[in-house]
Amino acid sequence: MKLFHLRHVDWVESQLIYHAQPRVNVEGINILAPSSPYVCIGYHQNLEQEVDLDYCKNNNIPVFRREVGGGAVFLDGNQIFYQIVIHKDHQLASGDKTAFYQRMLQPVADTYQELGIPANYRPVNDVITLEGRKIAGTGAAEIGDYIILVGNLIADFDYKTMVRVLRVPDEKYRDKVFKSMTENLTTIKREIGHIPTWDEMAEPLIRHFEQILGPLEPAELPQKVYNQMEILKPEFESDTWLFMKRRAGDERKVKVATDVNIIQRAHKAPGGLMRAVYELKENKISNLSFSGDFYCYPRKAITDLESRLDGADLPDIGALIANFYKNTDFEIPGIAPADWVKVLNG
Amino acid sequence: MTTIESFEFPDDLYYTNDHVWVKADGKTLTIGLSQFGQDIAGDILFVEAPREGREISKDEAFMSMESGKWVGRIKAPVSGKILESNTELEWESDLVNSDPYGTGWLTKIEASDLSDLDSLLRADSPEFASLIAEEKIKYKK
Repeated sequence: MKLFHLRHVDWVESQLIYHAQPRVNVEGINILAPSSPYVCIGYHQNLEQEVDLDYCKNNNIPVFRREVGGGAVFLDGNQIFYQIVIHKDHQLASGDKTAFYQRMLQPVADTYQELGIPANYRPVNDVITLEGRKIAGTGAAEIGDYIILVGNLIADFDYKTMVRVLRVPDEKYRDKVFKSMTENLTTIKREIGHIPTWDEMAEPLIRHFEQILGPLEPAELPQKVYNQMEILKPEFESDTWLFMKRRAGDERKVKVATDVNIIQRAHKAPGGLMRAVYELKENKISNLSFSGDFYCYPRKAITDLESRLDGADLPDIGALIANFYKNTDFEIPGIAPADWVKVLNG
Repeated sequence: MTTIESFEFPDDLYYTNDHVWVKADGKTLTIGLSQFGQDIAGDILFVEAPREGREISKDEAFMSMESGKWVGRIKAPVSGKILESNTELEWESDLVNSDPYGTGWLTKIEASDLSDLDSLLRADSPEFASLIAEEKIKYKK
């Protein structure tokens, strides 16, 4: 397989390359990083729902919609990316998604081990440290007859800007996302105290991928890939593509690690609009807060209910809320126990 | 109903090599992902429903699904026009997993040429049994 070791390239090229390769039948593994930061959203996301476009515009942070799955991410030169493009009939593409991810993410885990960070593959598509913190991003797509796998080693991460570029309902929500992200996502710098050089990271990454992919032959990216990138560029930069509505949504969910989501939901009950924001980790609720335009007396009842549900398993909330209604003295007209369940769990 | 290993395939449907099923009612075709297809796809988180009226060509990737940050494509089993998409899947994409032959249907297509169906497979055919056997090995199911 060809190795296209490109190092830092223009940010949009860093995305267009692997979108172009399957369209002109060029297999290979790319090792690269963007030379400047940008925001990248997943194929099925709605840009306006996910990203604070005003902030990005005012801070000259461009936005890209990839054909790969996953969520909105802030990418920069402190993340070293691999992009694997293989034909769907390649023997390495056999097995289901979990088997494919496991095979392809082992070199990433091995690279972290070599850098002094005990890290392991965790199904379906994560690499995590011994403490359970995520330390790599991964996504895949089928483009034409090819499977694309993209991912990164995270040397350092700008948590602050990542959280700032997200579109959130209020700063309280942003604080929850920041706290959860710093707790559940780590970096090489945080783990070993410094950022290794490019070659100190790329060399073991390539060597470990070689054990899976076979001999990797360093090569120049073919001209036909660059030609295809020129064709794709206006399409990927068009508003039609960027602002395409991919799905409906009245729920906001930011995945900060496997099994850890910050969730914001709204529900229009007879007594008014209800909002809930909480962290869901392994199906357990924490950091819950309710808001809305409904009447409640005394207001303390809301914080009491939040406390009662803190740490609860999602399937248990119906019984807990019913019990709260039975044993607590308060008035919330037009809002029944079922409405609280609805705003929390749909 | 034909059962191959633990997977069920209704006999009244047509099947593509990519595990899409097709139910014909005159020129109106309903399509979905077979039980085997949804199994290899994994837990489906998003389904992109194609807009009504869109013209599609046989074998063209015309819609997508996402599971485990993996965007998979669905190829059109026939040429024609999209009559309706199952918009319920935008909210409950897991219906494709839980009820692949029922409420998890994907789209309805008005076929431009019903002879496109001739190239598809039937559940009780030896060719289909061979396909599933090969796919089981490929996907280690």
